[in-house]
Amino acid sequence: MTGTPWLALAIALAVAPAVPGIAARTRSLLTGRRGAPILQLYSDLAKLWRKSAVYSTTTTWAFRLGAVTLFATTVLAAGLLPFDGRSALLRFAGDFVAFAGLLALGRFALILAALDTGSSFEGMGASREATVGSLVEPALFLCFAALALASGDLSLSGMLGTSPAHLWSTAGPGLAMVAVSLFLLALAEAGRVPVDDPTTHLELTMIHEVMVLDHSGPDFALIQYAGALRLTLFGTMLAGVVIPLAALPPALSIAVWVAVVGVVAVAVGVIEATMARLRLARVPQFLVAAAVLPAFAVILLLGSGA
Amino acid sequence: MSFLIAGLALVLLAGASAVVFHRWPRVAAGTYVTLLLAGAMVALVPALRVLTGARLPPLTIPTRVPGGAWVLALDPLSAWFLLLVLGVGAVAAVYGTWYLAGERAKGGVPQAQFGFAFLLVALALVVTAQAALFFLAAWELMALACYFLVVFDDRRADVRRAGMVYLLATHAGTLLLFVVFGLWGRNAPDLTFRSLEAAAGALGPARSALFALGLVAFGLKAGFVPLHFWLPEAHAAAPSHVSAIMSGVVIKIGVYGILRLITLLGTPPAWWAWSVLALGVVSGVVGVVWAVAQHDLKRLLAYHSVENIGIILLGLGAGALGLAYQVPALAALGFLGAVLHTLNHALFKSLLFLGAGSILRATGTREMEQLGGLARRMPLTWIAFLVGSAAIVGLPPLNGFVSEWVVFQALFTAGLSGTPAALGLFAAAGLGLIGGLALACFAKVCGTVFLGHPRTAAAQAAAERSVGSWGPMGILVLACGFIGLAPTMVLGPGVRVVGVVAGMTPSAAAELAAPVTHGARLISVTAALLAGLIGLVAVLRLRAVRRAGTATSETWACGYEAPTARMQYSASSFAAPLVGLFGPLAGVAVHRTANAFATHPANLVLDRLLTPVWRGVRGASGRLRPIRKGRLQLYLLFIVATVSLLLVYVAASGGEP
Repeated sequence: MTGTPWLALAIALAVAPAVPGIAARTRSLLTGRRGAPILQLYSDLAKLWRKSAVYSTTTTWAFRLGAVTLFATTVLAAGLLPFDGRSALLRFAGDFVAFAGLLALGRFALILAALDTGSSFEGMGASREATVGSLVEPALFLCFAALALASGDLSLSGMLGTSPAHLWSTAGPGLAMVAVSLFLLALAEAGRVPVDDPTTHLELTMIHEVMVLDHSGPDFALIQYAGALRLTLFGTMLAGVVIPLAALPPALSIAVWVAVVGVVAVAVGVIEATMARLRLARVPQFLVAAAVLPAFAVILLLGSGA
Repeated sequence: MSFLIAGLALVLLAGASAVVFHRWPRVAAGTYVTLLLAGAMVALVPALRVLTGARLPPLTIPTRVPGGAWVLALDPLSAWFLLLVLGVGAVAAVYGTWYLAGERAKGGVPQAQFGFAFLLVALALVVTAQAALFFLAAWELMALACYFLVVFDDRRADVRRAGMVYLLATHAGTLLLFVVFGLWGRNAPDLTFRSLEAAAGALGPARSALFALGLVAFGLKAGFVPLHFWLPEAHAAAPSHVSAIMSGVVIKIGVYGILRLITLLGTPPAWWAWSVLALGVVSGVVGVVWAVAQHDLKRLLAYHSVENIGIILLGLGAGALGLAYQVPALAALGFLGAVLHTLNHALFKSLLFLGAGSILRATGTREMEQLGGLARRMPLTWIAFLVGSAAIVGLPPLNGFVSEWVVFQALFTAGLSGTPAALGLFAAAGLGLIGGLALACFAKVCGTVFLGHPRTAAAQAAAERSVGSWGPMGILVLACGFIGLAPTMVLGPGVRVVGVVAGMTPSAAAELAAPVTHGARLISVTAALLAGLIGLVAVLRLRAVRRAGTATSETWACGYEAPTARMQYSASSFAAPLVGLFGPLAGVAVHRTANAFATHPANLVLDRLLTPVWRGVRGASGRLRPIRKGRLQLYLLFIVATVSLLLVYVAASGGEP
């Protein structure tokens, strides 16, 4: 094992907080405002980490462990992704199941932390998060299925590494559908418009933000950081599908990967500036659409005999 | 084999001792637990030997009844299920002595304990019997023992009804098994499994008919949709340690039956595999949707058994696809996933049922909307239940994740096989959906039952009980954690079982499963890293929190100052978005008023399909009443008519019956 996967993981952890910043800045500029600096989240995280926390008398250790587990699982999931298109820290057949499982464990821990407060607002957020999460999973596995068919490999490093790039000529339409679906899933998983709106002022319409109403101080910093990291991870998968990263020289591949994640952030910002949040009842339809795309990709790839 | 017989005799003796010493409860409990544990351990010796590669000669009991000798044999497939029966059975039996101690005044406790020991012996005989009549005898003993255990609390009408529905369902299954073995044995010299296997090749098209009948017969035991209708009723009505063994082990006997059927009938045609796979997807998704809609804790867990049988069938179907399309790697991975999930589900489902039993004992209710805040009052039960929940959802680093990971790999291997089996890849989306919905469901359970404020005085007064309550759960927690952290330990024996089912040598099966064995080591690494990372982040957070200081206050209610326990999100509300999403399929009645919201789930197959059909049959038979008024002449006429018809049939078919 060389040092590159460690370096890539460190870069991912370092740039992640800028990703929501880029999205927010894009949105501000497009709506005629200046907006907060791109690096705002870094200052926010530093400030929150030093702030004192308020704990509800209702809560137990489940609440305190929630944010910790969310952050730890997200970092470990990052360790399974090949950021620069080469091998990840951990690579084995079926590691995509571990990737999805770790993200699910983080979600489970955060939902339990929300329910630990006994607040009806957070119960509402938790219920919605669980609903959205349960519909994200089949779509995500269909994306993995299409990528496995295209690359003939059962590990994330194989799916997102060299192979898909060479297959753009033969499996182009399928991979394009997977890319679009991954972008939609990134919006859902990171709690972004049109699934969720992190900046609304009304708790009743929120999903993710209402679930973490009671978190403060270092716990909230961990949640914010993990959220930014999740968006980065989906951007990374998108980069792996779209760009033949492993075919580039190592340094360039890292630069290109970071640039693609930046482009994804800009796209998120553009969507936020131009679209309203969907009604909650419409969100499942959005997620079903995100699942139908890779399902078609699988059919195409099976049909082409890949 | 003598160890097996001696062990089972000890278990039976344990049951008898509970009855003999019933006047001295402490003595009875002591001898019962000691003898039963000793018996289970002795009987497990040959099972473990077989699973680590030994070959034991079968025990043949010559008989004069038709069907040939009664054969008792331990191959890896039998040994794997024997491990389930005796391992989970012993833990549930120990828990049962504590659980039933409170029921002594009502009576029937010694009989229930004898019945439990008897059930374990019957189960052990079912999985080791290698002759059809012996198998059916043990099968019937198992079914009857279960019935008497289910109706333990027979003063309640709902329990009696659940028992009756169970008895009808299980006997329908037994009847079909008689048909299966009867038809199968027509061309065989006797009814031992060895002869039946040899005769399977000459069956022709009847082979598929036998498989279909067997699938329904064993399906009634395994409880996949739509044959699950008896399951939620019976598992909820039974005492909790009986629910644990029924959900954990007895329904797995149906899985054993299907595996044995595939082994004996030979290479399956593709449509068998596709039907098993389709049943798996339907059972998994529909089972978990019904679980989400449930607010009765034990009934909810029972629906999750339906879901998990679905996951096992996904693995089984993938394995059968591998046999049908001659993709050995797929066969190995699919069956491996199925047998691993069978073991894992036995562990975490019995753990969850024992947890539900402790909650029921502590609060007197299994209605989730009446609970809440038990995490503070029952900390050990909470930890055990949380581990069981994370395991059943399939989260790392626990055992449920390991088997779902293998099933996923089997489905993806099907996708890459380049054969028509590739369409099985779509089942992976189903498995993903099942996992997501299970997560939502157990978030609901844990949140409503254990977190927040107690919703009633009963929940407020709950407290942790003695070691008899949480000790057995602790053992199951350790087993779930151990398999999750070191999956390679169970892969070796699992691969031997796969060898039997897929008709491969152990070494061939091991070679095909090599990627899984390699991945399993890295899963151990991932699990260790996860634990380390959570620890590290927890320490860093603790230091940050210590440095900055903390304050405590009421839960933030967006400015509202007087929140009460009743304002908490209820289980009905939590499940509402998902229940709404699945519409009529969820089968719930929504009760909504200005200040209340509740959903009431129905047993769709039993209440909306079978009961109306049965009512129709009864109505039709009522219309036949005029011809059976009790007049002897009329009955004699029927007999004469029947005999003459049969004589005509014999004459017409040329004297051959």
